[in-house]
Amino acid sequence: MSARPPIDNDTAADSSTGPTVTQDENAVTVDVTTPATATATVTGTGTGTGTETGMGDSPPKKQPPPEKASDARRRTWVILSFWLVVVCLGLPIWWKTTTIYRADLPLDEMLEWADGKACRPVFPLRIAIQADSLHEQEAQNLLRLTQHALDDLNDFSGHHLRLQLSPPSATDDKPNPNGDDTALTIRLVPGEATTATLDPYAPILDISYPPNTIPSATSSSSSLAAYVANQLRSTFAEEQAIISYLLSTNSMPSEHRPQGLTPEAAESLSKRTTRSLKYAPTYHLTFSLLTSGPLPSSWDIEAAIDEYMKPVLDVLSPIHNFTIDTQVQLYATPGVQNQVLNKEDLSSFVNAAEWPLSPSIGGAPTVNFILFIGNQTIGNAAQLAEGHDPDNESTTSPSWLIPQWGTVYLLSLPHDTTHVSVSTLKQPLLTFTSHLLSLTGTPQSGSLPLRLSTLSRIRSADLLLRASSTLGSLARLSLALPSISIPSSVADGVSTTMAHLRLACETLGGAEGLEHARIAEAEAERAFFEKSMVGQLYFPDEHKIAVYLPLLGPVGVPLVMGLLNEIKAWRKRRRARAEKGAEKKE
Amino acid sequence: MNGINGGKATTVGRTAGLYIGAAVLRLALFTLFPGLPDLLTGRVEISTPVTSFKRLQEGLFLYNHNVSPYDGGVYHQAPLLLPLFALLPSFAALPVFTYLLYIAIDLLSAHALFQIAESGEPGASALYTSPRRDKRWGGFVIAALFLFNPFTIATCIGRPTSVFTTCAILHAVVKAISGAPVGAMVALAFAAYLSMYPLLLLPPLLLLSYDRQLPGRATKSLAQFAATNIGVVASVLGMLFSMSFLITGSWEFLPSTYGVQLTLSDLAPNVGLWWYFFVEMFDSFRSFFLAVFWLHLSAYVGALTVRIRRQPLVVLTLLLGIFAIFKPYPSISDMSLFLAAVSLYRHVFPLMRYTFLVASIIMYTTFLGPAFYHLWIYAGSGNANFFYAITLVWGLGLSLLVCDLTFAVLRDEWEVERPEMVGKEIRQI
Repeated sequence: MSARPPIDNDTAADSSTGPTVTQDENAVTVDVTTPATATATVTGTGTGTGTETGMGDSPPKKQPPPEKASDARRRTWVILSFWLVVVCLGLPIWWKTTTIYRADLPLDEMLEWADGKACRPVFPLRIAIQADSLHEQEAQNLLRLTQHALDDLNDFSGHHLRLQLSPPSATDDKPNPNGDDTALTIRLVPGEATTATLDPYAPILDISYPPNTIPSATSSSSSLAAYVANQLRSTFAEEQAIISYLLSTNSMPSEHRPQGLTPEAAESLSKRTTRSLKYAPTYHLTFSLLTSGPLPSSWDIEAAIDEYMKPVLDVLSPIHNFTIDTQVQLYATPGVQNQVLNKEDLSSFVNAAEWPLSPSIGGAPTVNFILFIGNQTIGNAAQLAEGHDPDNESTTSPSWLIPQWGTVYLLSLPHDTTHVSVSTLKQPLLTFTSHLLSLTGTPQSGSLPLRLSTLSRIRSADLLLRASSTLGSLARLSLALPSISIPSSVADGVSTTMAHLRLACETLGGAEGLEHARIAEAEAERAFFEKSMVGQLYFPDEHKIAVYLPLLGPVGVPLVMGLLNEIKAWRKRRRARAEKGAEKKE
Repeated sequence: MNGINGGKATTVGRTAGLYIGAAVLRLALFTLFPGLPDLLTGRVEISTPVTSFKRLQEGLFLYNHNVSPYDGGVYHQAPLLLPLFALLPSFAALPVFTYLLYIAIDLLSAHALFQIAESGEPGASALYTSPRRDKRWGGFVIAALFLFNPFTIATCIGRPTSVFTTCAILHAVVKAISGAPVGAMVALAFAAYLSMYPLLLLPPLLLLSYDRQLPGRATKSLAQFAATNIGVVASVLGMLFSMSFLITGSWEFLPSTYGVQLTLSDLAPNVGLWWYFFVEMFDSFRSFFLAVFWLHLSAYVGALTVRIRRQPLVVLTLLLGIFAIFKPYPSISDMSLFLAAVSLYRHVFPLMRYTFLVASIIMYTTFLGPAFYHLWIYAGSGNANFFYAITLVWGLGLSLLVCDLTFAVLRDEWEVERPEMVGKEIRQI
């Protein structure tokens, strides 16, 4: 008796107002549906069923008159009108508004990048040989032999040194370090003995050779060629080690991975990479003068920076931009009050709670340089054990580097100093400068121009690998979570990343390569950390029931029941008609 | 109808007196309690984001200073209201003209109700004549009930722009009954232009004007009649839209007026059921449930029109009730319109079973709603659930009234077919 007749759909009742209203109304409007669905009627019997009306005079079990055909048809129309809205509008809207948009990501390609299959990082380093005193033929021969020697020595195909003869016309000019993509120029000069010196201001290696070492046109080996090859190899040894270290930590397939990286070397490199800051196009340098007392209260920092630091900042400018600010803080209390600081004290010396060292200004990461005026000193372990030894004093530097953060320099001044002059700042600033270089990840050996060009190559390799691995993470994430939405901005980011990665891979080693790698890395990070993707990260199917059921359940039950009853009645009618037809035929 | 013939002159005089009385009462409230209009304008029960008089003034200020009125996202009402109010003397200097405009709109609505009642349509439509129709109220009573309904008075003092929609809907019905389908369609187009949702009244209104065509120039085919009149509505709406475009200089008004109603971007509390629901909604399901709520609102139109085909005015009344409950931004002005329409069905009141319950619920929520809102917003000792609970009860009371009226009208029809069942209780077996 609980089946609800379909007609209740046409009441204007809010479905939550309870069944009494609709059911009572059914009883009035529908006397009898087709016999099978006859569920509601008006009867005059008041006995036994708990109705409050007593109309005992009417006969019990009186059946209401059959429903009119027009009423049945009207009811069909009413039910249809509801279902038309549900099917024609409701379902498409439901489909459109709740499907999770997943933009197509080139997953295979992304994983290829992550596995290092898409790009084999090759750094073709062009090395020019200037040999003015040699004949064309001799020089060619020397070049060929040196190249052979180099290829024999080299065990890492990614880092490839390629020799070429610089044209004689260019010999008069100073070799231009930035103009072409020549990484190093070798100047061969006749001399007494075989020596090699690295020019400190330009990427030039001067090699002098005794004349008799020039290989003849037919000889297949030459001591000069071997010497040059060895010199080159040792010059680029550090760069090679760093790059092979980077490749080895970044899930490159083993065939590209260089061998011969000893565990000790790898460990020292890993220390160095953790020390250096993450690459950013701009760094913010904060110079802080912190004094333990009321004095000194001013310093000539601007002049000192211009004099001691600016030159290095200038040469770093193709790779990084720098913004600078300075501050003075009096009565600054360090985190450790000991007179002599041990190694353990150094890590807690910076008083992060009280010193105004903001973590970063703007988007750029901050490098902090702290000049602390006080009378504390650093004691090294040996000193502390042996007692105070005045000869040993100079071996302890008054400064230390805090990885990825900056430098602290302790300076002891007479108590009545009110102003720190440029000359006093010289040593601290030179220390800061060298620490800045290691904070930016510059290699330690070689001349400055070589170190810088190496830095840019290392950085491009690093960024390239990082962007590739971010792409791989994104691809794995989208495979692992089928219910996560992928907005089209992510797909755009991925395609931009890959376009720039491809360009970076082609131009690796040059300034362009660094720029492309930088864009690729930024885009990859942006795509991976897309905000709208994270919101839907975890939304299990059980939650969907909780979302849909409270509203759509009560609305859906009368709709579905009405439809079912209507279908039942229709089938009954059809069967009756078929039987009638069969009877007629007989 | 026959009873009126005798004292036609006295009836006219009585009605005029009623209108004057209502106008004087409103003017007195406006002038004797100068704080009252502003107080009522600020009430969420009267002013919704899409009808508020305060927001209208903001839009008017921007409009008068040649800035797009929709800049700033405060004004969400139809652009053509702006030149109308700009024509009036400045509200700050001479508020009485605004008061007079709102009083006139109320009187126009009341007069429309008067005409509907006097036409006898509620008791005897073209296809159906109720055996109880003699027990109905005359136009004077209906107009008086509307004009002296506290909800109507509060709405008039609070000056939301929904009164224009009310007036347009009532005049659409009057035109339809008096055999002027084009006039009805034009009035409906105005209502739809002002508030959008009256467009859903089009099917029953079409049937009403189809049934009530003047015999001389009647269109026989319903399809042809519907097509013509839908064309009229569309062209009037198109004209209004292009005028709005000329006034504001861009189509920005479409998303700012109708878009706000469709997407419920302003979640200010009101007496409806939407705001709380969408405050709590998961963001990813918001658009889906917006569609569900709108479909729910519009799904009744077709079914009711088919089911009560013989009395289109009943369908209109029931739909007005449903809108007053399930609209995105309902207010008590929708309630006053619905109550006025219900009072046209005095003759089926004896068949209704929950009149006492409904009346109690409505009075109970009328007093508790503002109290709970005060507790939530001003006293801080309650939270949003207090007010929402009351709006749920308000919705429950209204839906009971809608159901009860449906029941009464259907039973009235049914008793014509089954005269032997008159007066008997019903029950389900």
